[in-house]
Amino acid sequence: MRAAIWAEAVKLAGSTVGRVGSAAIVIGISVISASMLLAAATTTDPQLLAKLGPVAAGDWRGFLLGAVQITGAGGLGGFAVILAWMFGREFGDGTIAGLFALPMRRTTIALAKLIVYLAWATAMSLLLAIVLALVGTLAGLGPIGTGTLEALARQAALGVMSVAITLPVAWAATLARSVLGGVSVAIALVVVAQVSVLAGLGGWMPLAAPALWAISLGTTVSPLQLSLLIPFGAIFVVLITQSWRRMQLDR
Amino acid sequence: MTAALALEQATRTFRNGSGIFDVDLELTSGQIVALVGLNGAGKSTLMRVLLGMLRPQSGRALLNGDDLDSAPMSAWARVGHLVEYPLAYGELTARRNLELSARLRGVADVTAAIDRVITEFALEQYADRRARALSLGNRQRVGVAAALQHDPSTIVLDEPTNALDPAGVIRLRESLLRRAADGAAILVSSHHLDEVARIADRIVVMNAGRLIGDLAPDTPEIEHAFFEVVRADDERVSS
Repeated sequence: MRAAIWAEAVKLAGSTVGRVGSAAIVIGISVISASMLLAAATTTDPQLLAKLGPVAAGDWRGFLLGAVQITGAGGLGGFAVILAWMFGREFGDGTIAGLFALPMRRTTIALAKLIVYLAWATAMSLLLAIVLALVGTLAGLGPIGTGTLEALARQAALGVMSVAITLPVAWAATLARSVLGGVSVAIALVVVAQVSVLAGLGGWMPLAAPALWAISLGTTVSPLQLSLLIPFGAIFVVLITQSWRRMQLDR
Repeated sequence: MTAALALEQATRTFRNGSGIFDVDLELTSGQIVALVGLNGAGKSTLMRVLLGMLRPQSGRALLNGDDLDSAPMSAWARVGHLVEYPLAYGELTARRNLELSARLRGVADVTAAIDRVITEFALEQYADRRARALSLGNRQRVGVAAALQHDPSTIVLDEPTNALDPAGVIRLRESLLRRAADGAAILVSSHHLDEVARIADRIVVMNAGRLIGDLAPDTPEIEHAFFEVVRADDERVSS
């Protein structure tokens, strides 16, 4: 397993996709959040202020609420693209044939991909929370109190929980034998999450629960609803590893 | 002697009717078997079944006498293969790609294995270039080196001379002859009959998914003989 994890980490670290994806998530979300804060501080246009939502308050609470809203959709999409690439590129590049006939099960290789993805997504989520804290401090939002620390922790937790809800993307990329197959499902995940909220499923829909939990400051989604992420993720880990175990190069 | 890799009456077909049919083949220690056939004859499919990339619908694929599904994982550490695409990730240097292959195969002294194979295939000047920046031929060299660096006792190479320059072809030829002399069981597919005739102990002809006969490596005008065998098979099937 160690060799497979090392191999996956080296591939992700060395790739343009990995570097651009990391930058897009950490810098992109930070820049958008900072821009909204700047717009709130410099405009008197009531329509623009209304569009900025909670960020218009110009405080830590509003700033971080804006950030979790962006992370809920944009971060999810960013994570999903990386995951789609990690699995789908083996087929697109033809390297999948080299992953057969090794003294290592393909389930081990698939699990190694998931472990590296989890580690990367966790690192990006923590880094994003740190950068947001720096941006807020530099923007003069004041000292970081207990409430702000809790909001930053929710921001980081949202990123980590997004790992579970993006797992269908890896399965789709495997079944479709392509990165695009995974990306298509990533888009579908974002749409389904939004529609499920509008339909009133709320926290009972695992795809939407983490973002709702973070946006509501942890009030409208119960621990039981959040815990559904565990069986949701576990089901897809099993589906992914079984697909890799039974895989044949028949297309 | 138990064959290193073998197919016993293996059949694997696709929806369009193509595939391989009732194939019997054994790779034994010290022998180079060349698999020749026209495009679409089923050479790559045969190799995929042999390496577990496709499961036979009937018949068996065996590694050291065990069905592939029940063969110990450790047995694959002594197998080296290159089928269709080299295991070379574009974002990694040639050296890093070799390291990746060696680690996945559990090589004990990775650095020594890489240094040896870089010298063997004259990859020194390309070792620190990213694979995507290499020419097709040099990328193929990296793929061949990755398949051979762990000194496998069983080697399966699908069209390994594809895109190789003459120097690369000679290095590969010498490498395979040396490895066979050291006891490796080798299967190589190729379109280049003259080339395989120089190294093969046995030349197996494949046509329309079946092994239809052998050609002696010292057959005069071997290309002509090959086409005669294929033509006779086509006539037999159509009659």
